[in-house]
Amino acid sequence: MTDSEIIRLIDTSLAEEFELDQATLTPDAHIYEDLGLDSLDMVDMVVVLEKAFHFKIREEEAIREIRTLGDIHEFVLSKKREMGA
Amino acid sequence: MTALTAARRMLHLGWVALTNCVFYPVMLLWTICGAALFPIGFPLWKGVTRWDSARIMRQFIWIYGRVWILLTFPFLRIRLARFPGPVTKPGILVVNHLSFLDTYVMGALPFSDVVFAVRAWPFKMFWYAPFMRLAEYMNVEELGWEGCLSTCKRLFGSGAYVLFFPEGHRSKDGKIQRFHSGPFKIAVETGVPVIPLCITGTDTVLPPFRRFVRPAKVCLHVLPPVYPSAYSGPDAHLKMSKDVKQQMVDHLSLMKEGLHRTGKAAL
Repeated sequence: MTDSEIIRLIDTSLAEEFELDQATLTPDAHIYEDLGLDSLDMVDMVVVLEKAFHFKIREEEAIREIRTLGDIHEFVLSKKREMGA
Repeated sequence: MTALTAARRMLHLGWVALTNCVFYPVMLLWTICGAALFPIGFPLWKGVTRWDSARIMRQFIWIYGRVWILLTFPFLRIRLARFPGPVTKPGILVVNHLSFLDTYVMGALPFSDVVFAVRAWPFKMFWYAPFMRLAEYMNVEELGWEGCLSTCKRLFGSGAYVLFFPEGHRSKDGKIQRFHSGPFKIAVETGVPVIPLCITGTDTVLPPFRRFVRPAKVCLHVLPPVYPSAYSGPDAHLKMSKDVKQQMVDHLSLMKEGLHRTGKAAL
């Protein structure tokens, strides 16, 4: 899976789960302010990503640092690289 | 335009004007009367029933809503809701949100022990806030997830219903919006069923950002309960949320087309 395919899968999974407009899904979109998600949605987001990428990330400290969609992209890409190594 | 059409239009405008002249004064008067009667009725009812204060307050709020429904008839023709089968108790009520008036329409429910789970802003209405606090309404923003869950567990233990507006906000276009998963997560955690409620018409009466009211027929339908035991896995609450939302979208569509009588879950 290429990086752009991973990013596309992240965006489509989140857009489908949270009924987000694809146009709002830019890397600098703020999770809370721009995408309108809340803290409970962040827990659901972890579930959605785990299901989409077949990994476990709920215990990862780095999730707490996520602020933008770009952060999610980076986080998943690095996790995938880690798994591939 | 024919004379008949013009006459009908004039009659309609007159009816709208009369509705506006009556609606707000009646609402204000009934709120003042209700608040004035409360200090007498509350201890009296507590002495008779021996119920806890919060449950009595919830019953008083339900009576307030029920009388409001009667007083606003025939401007707002609200049909009282009935369960499609035996009453399930306790339960998590989820209702679509169209108008500020949706909360008043909950007086049409066939039971009174309902705790509203709301955001922080309704608690800023100083004329309602003391009663909301006494009824132990949940401020979901203040409680957070753990607080909401423990409060719900306690309420379900006493057989109460907890009511959520899963969209979080009133719909601006009448269409059902994204559901937040909180109520469904609580259902999965507690094993308590979700009872979907579908409301139509309040967006015609008083949609968001409009002040004058328009007479309309308001319908509240109760759909069969959805049990969390039917869902499993870490995303059980998300699947449940999607299913419940789809059921509500389908039923609301039937209600709007006036075809709900043929629907399985219709009243």
